[in-house]
Parts: sequence; C-alpha cells; structure tokens
Amino acid sequence: MNRITRFLAAAALALSLATPAMAQLGGPVTGTPTNPITTPGSADELELMKALNGGRIAGRGSIPDVQSQVLIQPEGREWRDFHNKTLTWVGGIAVLGMLAILVIFYMSKGRIAIEAGPAGRTIKRFNGFERAAHWMTASSFVVLGLSGLNLTFGRFLLLPIIGPEAFTAVSLWGKIAHNYLAFPFTLGIVLLFLVWVKDNIPNARDIAWFKAGGGLLGHGHPEAARFNGGQKMVFWITVLGGALVSISGYILIFPFVMTDIAGMQLAHIVHGVLSVLMVAAMIAHIYIGSVGMEGAFDAMGSGEVDLNWAKEHHSLWVEQEMAKARDTIGGPAGAKAAGAD
Amino acid sequence: MLIKRSEGKAARQRLAAAYQGLSSGGLDRRSFLRQAGFGAAGLAALGAMGPGRAQASGAATGVADLSKPIQRVKNICTHCSVGCTVTAEVQNGVWVGQEPAWESPINRGTHCAKGASVRELVHGDRRLKYPMKLVGGQWQRISWDVALNEIADRMMKIRAESGPDSVFLLGSAKFSNEGAYLFRKFAAFWGTNSVDHQARICHSTTVAGVANTWGYGAQTNSYNDIRNSKTMIIMGGNPAEAHPVSLQHVLSGKERNRAKLIVIDPRFTRTAAHATDYVRIRPGTDIPVMWGMLHHIFANGWEDKQFIAQRVFGMDEIRAECAKWTPAEVERVSGVPGEQLKQVARAFATEKPSTLIWCMGATQKTVGTANVRAFSILLLATGNVGLEGTGANIFRGHCNVQGATDFGLDVGTLPAYYGLDEGAWRHWSRVWNVRYEDMVARFDSPAMMTTPGIPTTRYFDAITLPKDQIQQRDRVKGMLVVGHGGNTVTRMPEAVKGLEALDLLVVADPHPTTFAVLGNRRENTYLLPISTQFECDGSRTASNRSVQWGTKVVNPIFESKNDYEMMYRLCGALDRAAQRSNQAVRFQAEIFKTFEVKDNAPTAESILREINRGALSTGYTGQSPERLKLHMEHQDKFDLVTLRGRAGTPVENEFYGMPWPCWGKAEWKHPGSHILYNTQLHVKDGGGTFRPRFGVERNGVTLLAEGSWSKGSEIQDGYPEFTTAVLRRLGWYDDLTAEEKGWIESNGGNFSWATDLSMGIIRVAMEHGCVPYGNGKARAVAWNLPDPVPVHREPIYTPRTDLIAQYPTLPDRRGFRMPHLGVTVQNRSHQVARDFPIILSSGRLVEYEGGGEETRSNKWLAELQQDMFVEINPADAAARNIRDGGWVWVTGPENQSKARMKAMVTERVGRGVAWMPFHFAGHFMGEDQRRRYPQGTDPIVLGESVNAITTYGYDPVTFMQETKVTLCQIRAA
Amino acid sequence: MARMKFLCDSDRCIECNACVTACKNEHEVPWGINRRRVVTINDGRPGERSISMACMHCTDAPCAAVCPVSCFYTTADAIVLHDKDLCIGCGYCFYACPFGAPQYPRVGNFGGRGKMDKCTYCAGGPQQDGTLVEYTQYGANRIAEGKLPLCAEMCSTKALLAGDGQMIATIYRERVAKRGYGAGAWGWRTAYRETVGA
Repeated sequence: MNRITRFLAAAALALSLATPAMAQLGGPVTGTPTNPITTPGSADELELMKALNGGRIAGRGSIPDVQSQVLIQPEGREWRDFHNKTLTWVGGIAVLGMLAILVIFYMSKGRIAIEAGPAGRTIKRFNGFERAAHWMTASSFVVLGLSGLNLTFGRFLLLPIIGPEAFTAVSLWGKIAHNYLAFPFTLGIVLLFLVWVKDNIPNARDIAWFKAGGGLLGHGHPEAARFNGGQKMVFWITVLGGALVSISGYILIFPFVMTDIAGMQLAHIVHGVLSVLMVAAMIAHIYIGSVGMEGAFDAMGSGEVDLNWAKEHHSLWVEQEMAKARDTIGGPAGAKAAGAD
Repeated sequence: MLIKRSEGKAARQRLAAAYQGLSSGGLDRRSFLRQAGFGAAGLAALGAMGPGRAQASGAATGVADLSKPIQRVKNICTHCSVGCTVTAEVQNGVWVGQEPAWESPINRGTHCAKGASVRELVHGDRRLKYPMKLVGGQWQRISWDVALNEIADRMMKIRAESGPDSVFLLGSAKFSNEGAYLFRKFAAFWGTNSVDHQARICHSTTVAGVANTWGYGAQTNSYNDIRNSKTMIIMGGNPAEAHPVSLQHVLSGKERNRAKLIVIDPRFTRTAAHATDYVRIRPGTDIPVMWGMLHHIFANGWEDKQFIAQRVFGMDEIRAECAKWTPAEVERVSGVPGEQLKQVARAFATEKPSTLIWCMGATQKTVGTANVRAFSILLLATGNVGLEGTGANIFRGHCNVQGATDFGLDVGTLPAYYGLDEGAWRHWSRVWNVRYEDMVARFDSPAMMTTPGIPTTRYFDAITLPKDQIQQRDRVKGMLVVGHGGNTVTRMPEAVKGLEALDLLVVADPHPTTFAVLGNRRENTYLLPISTQFECDGSRTASNRSVQWGTKVVNPIFESKNDYEMMYRLCGALDRAAQRSNQAVRFQAEIFKTFEVKDNAPTAESILREINRGALSTGYTGQSPERLKLHMEHQDKFDLVTLRGRAGTPVENEFYGMPWPCWGKAEWKHPGSHILYNTQLHVKDGGGTFRPRFGVERNGVTLLAEGSWSKGSEIQDGYPEFTTAVLRRLGWYDDLTAEEKGWIESNGGNFSWATDLSMGIIRVAMEHGCVPYGNGKARAVAWNLPDPVPVHREPIYTPRTDLIAQYPTLPDRRGFRMPHLGVTVQNRSHQVARDFPIILSSGRLVEYEGGGEETRSNKWLAELQQDMFVEINPADAAARNIRDGGWVWVTGPENQSKARMKAMVTERVGRGVAWMPFHFAGHFMGEDQRRRYPQGTDPIVLGESVNAITTYGYDPVTFMQETKVTLCQIRAA
Repeated sequence: MARMKFLCDSDRCIECNACVTACKNEHEVPWGINRRRVVTINDGRPGERSISMACMHCTDAPCAAVCPVSCFYTTADAIVLHDKDLCIGCGYCFYACPFGAPQYPRVGNFGGRGKMDKCTYCAGGPQQDGTLVEYTQYGANRIAEGKLPLCAEMCSTKALLAGDGQMIATIYRERVAKRGYGAGAWGWRTAYRETVGA
C-alpha cells in the first residue's frame, strides 16, 4: 500500500539524515569534542514535510506517552477521506446494493420452494452445539454490525430523528456492546471454524455448483455434499473475514498496545471495509436462510431439515447420511426418521 | 506581544451567540436539540442512562466562584533567581488560580513550567502536614511544642557537651531575606559560624571570584539589560532550562540587535539550540578556553587598552599566561579548534557591548574560583564591565540565593559580607543592640568566633573524621536543616554514614526531603512542617540584585509554620531547655528585642528595617518595606530595558526593586544601581566604580583608578574608601550634620562608611559625587588567592591522565577546619581512568529544581519527568549495547557507588561524556526508599541521585564541590 | 470577527513546558491527559527546535468531520469545541487529528477510552459560561472573561502566540523581519491551509 511504502521511505530518510551526524562521532580522544557546529539544520515545517515526503514529523518529548512525540501526522487526512468518503460509499453501496439485489430477486423469483414439496420426514442437519455456536456468532454479529454501521451512518440516518442526546446514548451503549460482544463473536468464529472446516474444503464440485448458479438461476439442482459452494463461500467469508475483522478490532479496542496511530488507522480501514462487506454478505445469508428459501431456516432452527429439501440441495450429503445410518443400525435405508432418536 | 481582549463583556456576548447556534459554522447541543425537533423529548431521556458524565478532574481546587470577589495577591516565584512575579487569585482563603503578572518588568506575565505550577505547592497533598519524629524507625506524629522542646533539649545537651560548633546549621536559599538574616543572627547568638546554605554549592566560587576581582560578588547587570548586548557568550550554563524566563530577554536581545549568541558548553543544551554558534569543549577546560580567547585578543590588539590602563590592575601578568595558550595547545587540552575560538574571541572583543553569562558549569569545579576569575578577566580585557549590555551576567540558582548570600548564610561572613573579624562583630553587635563581649561569650572561644565554620559540602566529614583532624572542640553532633535537600552534595554514600552517626537531625521544610530518608536512622530525627514563601510575607533578592516584596497568598496550610515563627518558637524552647539544664545562655529575648513580634513571630517588615539599619556595605539600606511595596504596586511603571521608573509616576527615576547598592536612608530616595561599576551615572543616580578592597597600592603600583571616575565626582581620579579620617583629610568632615557627628563621636570617633550607622559618611561622600567605597581598579591578579593568576588544573578525576603532570591540581592542604586533599586524589586518576572511562557531568531539568523534593511532589511537574536518566552518546551506547530508554547501571570510582536509571541515547553529549540531572532522590544504590518517607509525603517521582556517583574534589577558596567533572562507567542493566 | 489561532515560534520555544503546566493549573487537568505538549525535533543536533503543540482549532476540523455523533461545534471565534455529554469516546477524532490533540481518560473496560478531552482554547464548553459544571467538564472559560489561553499568556519566551490569526501573523512577520530568520508557523498549513506569509 502507498501508505506503507511512504512510512518506509520516511524511516529511511530519517536514518540518512542522522547518518552524517553519526559519522562525525568517530572522534579521537575520550571526552574531546568532535563536532563544532555553526550551520543549523532545517526546522522549517514545509522543508521537513518535503524531506519526509509528507510523512509524520516526530521528535523527543518528556512525557512517557510516545504518541505525544508525534508533532504532525498528515495521514489523518487520508484516514478522514477514507472514513467520510470511501467507507460511506463502499458501505452504502454494499449494504443497499445487496438489499436491492435481494428485493429484485424476491420480486422476480419469489420464495424458493421445495420442488418436490415437503416430505414430512426430516433429517438432522445441525446438532445443538453447532446451532449454539452459530447463533452466538450470529447474534453478536447483528449487534456488532448494527452498532458499527451506526458509527458510520447513524449521524445521517438516526441522529436527525432521535436527537443528539438519545443518539449519543444509543451510540455509547452501542460502543460498549461492540467492545464486549467482540469476544463471543470471536469465540463463535473459532468454534464454527473447528466444527465445520472439514466439510468446507473447496473441491471441484463447487465449481460445477457455481457454474450451475447454485440452482437458483437455472433449473435443476447441482449436486452438493454437506455444504454446497455457496455455503462454503459464506463459511469462508465468515471465518476469514471474521478473523481479520476481529484482529483489526482488537487492535482498536486496545489502543496503542499493539501498534501506533498509523497502525490503528490501517486497522480501522481493514475493519471498516471488511465489516461492511461482511454485513452485505450476511444480509444475503440471512435472506436465503429465512424468507428466501422454504425449509432452509429449520437447519438452524430445530436442526432438522425436510428430507426433500435436503435431497434437493445436498444430495450427496443425504446419501452419505443414509449410508451411515444403514451401517449403524443395519436396517433398510431411510427406514427410520433420522431425527426420531 | 499578545493581543489581549480588552472587552470581556463583548467577548462573552459574541461567544454566547455562538453557543446559541447563531453562528454559521457552529451548533451547540441545546440548539441542535431544538432543531432536531420531533421525537427528541422521549428519547432524550436515554441520555440520562449514559455511563456517567465526563469530568475534567476529580478534585477541583481551581474552581472560582465568579460571582464573588476574587482577591489578587502578588508574590515572587519560589523557584529560580529570575524573580518572576506570581499573581495569585484568592477566594475565601483558597488559592484558586494563577494569572499572568503582566506588570512585572522581569517576567511580563510569563513563567516556566515551575512558575506556572506553583499553586500546586500550596495545595500539595504531599506536603509535610504536622511535626513528626522517628521512634524505633517509625514516623510518629507529635505536636509542635513537644517537637521543639525535645529538639531544644538535645541541642542544649550537645552545646554543653561538645560546644556550639557541634551543631551544624544549614539554612536555605528559599528563605526570604528576612528569614535568612534571622537565621544568620540566630547562628551568631547560638555561637557558631557553621551556618551555610545552597550558595556554597552553586555560586560560592562566583562570589569569591568576582568579589576578589572588582569588589562585589553579584551579577553586574540584569536580565533585562541583556537586551542591549550585541554579543553574548553563555558558558557553563543552560538558562533555557535553569532560568527559562531569562531567555525571553536573551532571545529578544539576540533578535533586536541581531546579536551573536555563542554557547560554550560540553553539552548541546536547549540553550545551544538557539545559539548562533556552539562551541563544544571537554568538561573542565574553561580556563584554557578563556586564555585561548585572550591569546587571540592580545595577539590581534582587540583588547580595550584605555579601560585596562584606567581601571585594571595586573593585566600584564595575564598577558604572559595567555601567551602560553597557543591555538594548538588550547585544542590539545580543550578540543576547541583555534579558528573557531578566534571567531568567538573577535566577536566578543569587537562587536560590543558583550556580556558573559555563566552558571554552575563554571562554578562547580575544583577550579571554580579560578574559572570565575578568568571569566571576569576576559570581561575586563575587552572593557565589557560597567556599561549597558555588558557585564558578568551571573545567573544565580534559587529564588533568593542572592539575598541569602547577602545576609550571611555563609560560614565565612556576617550579614552583608562584613567578614568575621572583630570589626565586623562589633558592627553587628551595635546593630543588634547587644554588647560585643556578650557575643564573644556565646562562642567556644574568641578564636572560633573569627574562624570560618564547616561548609555544607563537607558536613559529613565533620561528623565522621577523627576528632583531631577537625579544628574545633568536637565533631558535629547535631544538624538543623531548614529548606535544603539531602541529595545536593557529592559523595552521598559518605553522607549516609555521617547522617547515621548524628545525635540529632532536625529537618524543617515543607517536604520531608532526602535528609529524612537517606540514612537508616531510627531515633532523634525530627521533621518540622514549614510553609513555603507563598504562605509568608517578606522580600527576596533576584539575581540582578532587585529586591521584591512578596505578600502572603494564603495562611500556612496544615500545621506548617513560617520560618519566622519556627525560629521564634525554637528560641523560646531553647531558653526553656537552657533553664532546665542550668545553662546561662538565653536566646529569644536578645535576638528578637529589636523586632516587632506579633502572634509568636517577628514581622518581616521589622526585620527588614533592622537590615536597612545595618547592611551598609552592600547598600541594603534604602530598600525600606514601604518602598518595596510601592514598587510592587507600580510594577507596570518601569521601563523594560533600563528598569527605570517612568517620569511622572510615584517611582520616577528609581530602578525596579532598587538593585543594591541602594545607598543611604530610604528617604534619600537613592534609585538603586541597575548596573554595577557604571561610571557614566552619578553615584546618586545609580553610578559606581570598582571597589578598592585590598589597599591602595601593591608593590609600588597603585590600586586606585587612574583617569576614571563616576559622573559628577569631585575627586577626578581614583580614591580609597571613605572613613572619618578620609573625610578629615579632604576637609569634608564638617559636612556631617550634628546628629551624624554625635553618633560617630559617641561611639568612638573612627568609622568607615560601612560601619557608620548614622550613614553620615555615605551621605557626605555622595554629596561630593563620590562612591562611598572608593574608586579603585579591578584586580586581574588576586594575590590573596591560591592562584593569583588563574591557571589550568586538570580535574581531580580526569580521563586525560597525560595532562596531569603538566597541569596538576593543587597539593593537599587544609581549609574550613578540615583537611583538603588534592594531588593525592588526582593521582588515583591513572588507575581509575581505565575502569571508568566516561566523564560524568550533571545539570538541571526545567521541570525540577534543586534536590527536587518539592517539584517532584508537584503532580503537574512530576508527570513531565517520570524517570531518572543518564544521557549517553550514541557511539558509547552502541559500544555498550545500550538502547534509548533501556535501564543501565552507572558506577563511580568511589565507595563502590552504583545507580540504576534509564539511558537516553542522544547527541546532546559528546563521545566519552555522560550527563545526568541532579534533581532525583529516593532511590539509592538500586534500593527504592519510598517506604521510608512518612506516609503520604513521598514525592510522586523518585529516582537515583547523581550525587551517589559524584566524587571528591573541592575548590580551595570556598570548598565548592566538583559536580561537573568526574568519571564513571555505564553498562546495560 | 476574530479568527482565533495558535502560532508557535519555534525559534523562540525553549521547551520550558510552561504552556503544559499552565494548562494543567488553569483547568486542573488530571495526570495522563495532556491537552498541550512540547515536542523537540532534531534533539541534540544543530537545527534542534522545540514546538509547543495542542489542538490548533483547524479550519474544516477533521475531528468534527469524522465524529460519528457530531459532538463538535465551532464558535464564532472559530474555536473548535466539543460536547462531552455527546462524546462516546470512540477515538475517531484521534485517528483524524493531524496534531494528536484528542486525549482520552482511561476508563472501565480494556484500555477503554472515556470521553475525549482536548484543548478548549480556554473557552470552556457548551455549558453556561463560568459555571461549576462547565469548569468540571471542560476547565476554565477565560475567553468569556475576556482573556486569552493561559498557555500562550504564560509562555516564557513569548514563543506561543494566541489570538486573532491576522494579528498574531502580523506579530510573527514583524519578528521575522526584525531578526531575519523564521522557521515558519508550525502547523498552519495543516490546520488552516495557509501560511503566515513571512
């Protein structure tokens, strides 16, 4: 990134500025002065800024806070542009765009039904632990997302409606919630990763799945194992995005513990962009998992999904489960409802 | 220079309008709410659920109720000697705020970090709150009466068993003039000359060196007058940190005259950052640099020949010495290239007026007095004394170190530099209205009365040395320390042994100070809470000799008492103790009979009036309390540069603060002397001449001025000091009034200007345009000093062992009742320099002052410097694997001393040189001593003291300690 | 109407820290909060200069631009103030500020930030002028009393100037003309998008 290269350049320059003075120090006799001085170096702000290629101007101060020793940090301006322009637009487009797509999709295709109609028999898709992990992550994410969006959009959307004091109260509680819920969210991400990663290794079938548009665009369902290509995408968005958002978030929760102001600005940029993109992705996820598709919600609701739904969307998985069940109880395939025990 | 809003009301309205949301750019919360309109009311209640309202602070002592009257009180900053006026805002007896003192011609509203935070000193919750004593190693609260009675009993016991000289009285440069004078008077009545204060360790060598050159031991010009200089050399001083407000005048002078500001120092200081030229020297080579400059000056004929001929004695001997200091030799010894020094010398000698500013870098040396003499000689050779923009601008240290020195907190003199001889004692006995014989009886012997006492730099030697090596009846057994830190003196490991051996230690101070915790004492140690000068009336003398009156801001806080009351009560307790132990000596009635005593304390005004009666020799007679208060009231009526009161004002023609000498009686309205030895003014207008203190002739050569006199003098040549005999010879005796003659004749008939309490001699001399003390030559050769012509002597601990043979220190000798080693110690350098290769120097930080207990207890200052550190050059650091901010051990060559602190890797110091601030204490040899402070009185910031490492080495004239050049080793911790 | 600015003349500043303690004293600013500070560049080398820095009360203030709760406002004198009752301590203003002015007391959770504190140009806050509640939240309101910021008023060498931008610029220009050198008005380009024109 441009920012990082500039920091490196600045550091290199600072070093080169120091070098002539250091070189003088190789004086002869102990205690004998070596650098009689008459020509003062530059202390002009513009010259220094130029020399440092617009980087930070820092010096020495007596307060132990290292931040206080930075005199001017022009990157703040870039961060401001990012926050006020880039993030607002990216976030706005991503979230509203996703909503728009979904609305259009819903209008054009409506709710995706189980083609064969509900079978009436169910098969267990997610156990209690999996569902708990999902919902912990999901509920944290919703609050985190809303409180986060509030920091970027609230002043335009919410503040004029409820007034500054109420808005501050909302935002303050939002900030506190945001800080605390970061921990269950991260924990959830870790758990989801551990329990589902083995079923989410991408493979050739996923390509086929995507080619077939996941069955949403065309007709007929491409075959899929426990997770289809789309779900794997959601998984990896959640795990990787969540990890990055978490890491960048912790950098911001513990100011100056891990990095300096430039690092925090960078962390914020990562955090902001990934977060709004995740929000957009999760809106789609929520849509498809609820109103968008008949039978989908049950997977995370009761954990039992309709057998026909499962066959349509996860044909290979259903076969696998059936085979497992046969092996276990030795009875005929599908003789027993998977969720009955 | 700032634009002051004159219309407070208008501003208020304008801003109020902004807050009401009427301005284009801004909105406040209330108007925002109004504009937000709907839905706000109900939801706004959510605001109340927010987690607490933010507050700027917890305890708001600075809250002033603007609806009630606020009283403004002026006092003087208690930190450095610049003498900044502090304007305090007081409401209901609480100091609620500080405002800029715009009127003061010295600081013009400004302050440094310390001055801007003095309010905290009087709110400080870390102050000593009540008297305490050590019982079995634990601090216990006691009452004032109990404390004073126990202290008095122990003092009288020591007095009976070992004599009065076994109690060491350590006073303070923080005293007001009146407090200092009272303490010296108390020492005289106690019967000892072992009474000292901080001047010993800051400018004692200046006083000795300068007084031996031209008569008075003080700054010749003023901070303000530096604005007139065209060339300024600051050598061995860092006023940007030590006297920040003085830089206002220095930098203004630099700017308005486009003057050269040359900093000569081993360290690239904050002052050097603003210099036009910076010359780095090896620590301890001031004289070679001075003589190197004079070498160029004499070689090029830049000296002021007329000035030398008329007003200087012995310059030829200097010329001979300087001839030896060729540019090559100067560079070999000091490291300064010849061409650079030549430029500096040319500027100083030819771009006049030039001033030389120095501080403890020059004075705290084994050659301190010689340094000062060399500095003075440079000024004399270039004719830079006695004129505007010239002079020896000696920046003194503490707020009243000048006054405390003037009033004799010194082992070698009575108040006002009268010395200790019989004439001096008789003079002060007359002022004190006591019989001289009664004073003699208070001493162990008449001889002890005229023998200089034990100086503070060696008090612990006087406790621990074998009895037969100390020239008094017994060793020091008890110590009364008032307003003095315990970490200010070198060789602290030995001081610890001394403190532990004392029978009695009394620390009277606003803070416990390092004295209270340094030794491992368990009994017989007392702490008395003393107020700061902000809780006390009195005058103080700034470095430029201006005397300023400080008015009490608030009453002493907690149980603290001011200096006057403490001394009055102590004297009463001593009387009672004497009675109990059947000793005949009494104190209170005799000492205080000349003062007005109110509420168990003499009034500052009445003490000053006694000073006005007796301190003739320095001209401390015209500064009556009334005149001083008038000056404080009309501070704004003085010119910034000349310090003269403007025409048509109540202070017309007077110099601000009546810098001494301010001759004669207050009603004569002498204006004071802004610039010493200024022959361009009439003596009645503040003019003067060099003071002939050493006779009229030396080896057939006159010591009186030739062809030079002050304006309006009827004697148009040199003349000796005025006495009754001189008046008779001149035929002026009958100019004395009948009253004056009456006093003189009824008291013996033969008096000098300095002892004639009728002040008639001074009056008559001035009527004839003559300076009472005479008109002499300054002495380039001071034959009464160990080195009549200053010569370079290598520091006692030097890394340049190759120079020891050529430039050895003085041989071992005795002084101040004690042995004084020289070459014996220096000869150790040959071994020491191998193991301790780094020169260690010390100095000041702007945030702290002196031993630092007071300033390190001030939260606003302490936050700015939280760690003791040592500055080390990047090359030395790299060689030792030391990183900036890392911990290091510094070890010294004596007492297996060691100290742990942080490293500051910086090019401020040259290679082979390390530097430490001297304000830290509370850690000693790696041990944290915080728990030893009485609970709640430990300073916020503690750290190792530089003086744990510093070593032996004393100036032969004043026993000034060597703090600027010793050796050490540094390694990563 | 006055446009208040700060100007630090680095050729005069000696890092005496009077501005820092004057600020602490006037507003009882707690330990750890530094509304003003002094930074020394080129320390220990020729060209060493110290600069006193605090909130510069920028034109088009970045803090106000990024504040998610819009707690900043600008007075008629162009002083940038904020409302602590609205501030949520998010830290955005610190990311955006070119001068590191915003300060946060450490409160509660983690290194959590409390409500932001910064230089008020001695102009208090949105509470009623000169009241106790204004003092405890923001410190003294000298502007309302017709005074200027104490840091500048007490500056030992008169390096730090405060007041109307044009007037202090004139003072500075005259100074530079008299002495023949000047390193410029530190931070002016960044804060006000203009130079002192010396």
